[in-house]
Amino acid sequence: MVQQTITSGDLVDEATLTLEELARACSVETDWVIEHIESGLLADGSPYVASWRFTSHDLTRARRMYQLERDFEAAPELAALAADLIEENQRLKERLRSAGL
Amino acid sequence: MEFKDYYQVLGVVKTASAEEIKKAYRKLARKFHPDVSKEPDAELRMQEINEAKAVLSDPEKRLAYDQLAQQYHSGQDFQPPPNWDAGFEFSGRGFEEADLGEFSDFFANLFGHGGRQRAEGRGYKIRGDDRHAKVVIDLEDAYLGATRSITLHAPQVDAHGRLSSKKHTLNVRIPKGVKAGQHIRLSGQGNPGISGGPAGDLFLEIHFTPNPRYRIEGRDIYQTVPVTPWEAALGGSIETPTPSGVVKLKVPAGSQSGRRLRLKGRGIPGAAPGDLYVELEVVLPPADSDKARQLYEAMAQELAFDPRQSKGG
Repeated sequence: MVQQTITSGDLVDEATLTLEELARACSVETDWVIEHIESGLLADGSPYVASWRFTSHDLTRARRMYQLERDFEAAPELAALAADLIEENQRLKERLRSAGL
Repeated sequence: MEFKDYYQVLGVVKTASAEEIKKAYRKLARKFHPDVSKEPDAELRMQEINEAKAVLSDPEKRLAYDQLAQQYHSGQDFQPPPNWDAGFEFSGRGFEEADLGEFSDFFANLFGHGGRQRAEGRGYKIRGDDRHAKVVIDLEDAYLGATRSITLHAPQVDAHGRLSSKKHTLNVRIPKGVKAGQHIRLSGQGNPGISGGPAGDLFLEIHFTPNPRYRIEGRDIYQTVPVTPWEAALGGSIETPTPSGVVKLKVPAGSQSGRRLRLKGRGIPGAAPGDLYVELEVVLPPADSDKARQLYEAMAQELAFDPRQSKGG
């Protein structure tokens, strides 16, 4: 019988990501993350770099924005706007689905 | 392995200019963007489109691919001839082994080794890139925890230093308390490092199987429970299934449809567990027998009740 190894991981949010970890997970430079935070497009816009910690939501949003910028050569503000709309769309779809519509 | 016609994928002619390729790519990327596309195979199509763009928008890769494409057509069984890429150096950043997880075997076999060989030749220790995958679980799994098998296409290096894509199955423990959209980070399960560098991490994004019975908001769960008119009017104890099992619920007397009851801490578990909100839905018994009709008629005569008047209508 083949013995199966079960891999365990960390839950992001209980252990949040640092700036470097977020950048690596999105395949971007840390400067990209910093610029997007300073422009208010990502995370909570906190100016305290040392205390920056990122959640699952930040990771999903940063990857989405980076892909939009890359695929469409979109301005960061436009990618952020699209990300906002996609997030809102997903929330509304979830509500419609649970309402059986 | 089948030969892929990247020109066909992007819907452009073989003589298309760089600008035409970019335009065709953007048009398709918009159509098949997984966040918005309604096409059932959007993710797969997006992968193909990204691959096609990666090759056709890089002059060196395109030239090498064009030479191969003279001998093959789309769907034809294909093995890359030895040293098919001799004389080409793929210097474009971004489509080396870092991205192979998101590309097909065909792409990985053709273009997967360039970056690695160069990096190893220079003796750099480079950490492998992080990878991402989605994993779908049932809501109940978030209450109890679960194990899921995940199959990934992982880059593998053979004895000759060539990179190819190989299926790799991981059994992953899904800890209890996960939320939709949350990530599990598996250290060292991403792409392998180069020249002895550490492997990257694998991020799994949690999604729940759609369940019409529940609505999930963070750790809070919303669920509608049908009740009879007498349970709603007189109050009573009812049993209802919830994601954590059947619970006994006290329906307060005088409840109406839409009344929301909170079961504290019965949402998704965690350091701060969510709550379960039960919304009552009063369901009328059908007047499909003499007895039922008599009861409705008795109510009509005995109860001075006009919901339109009481609502000011």
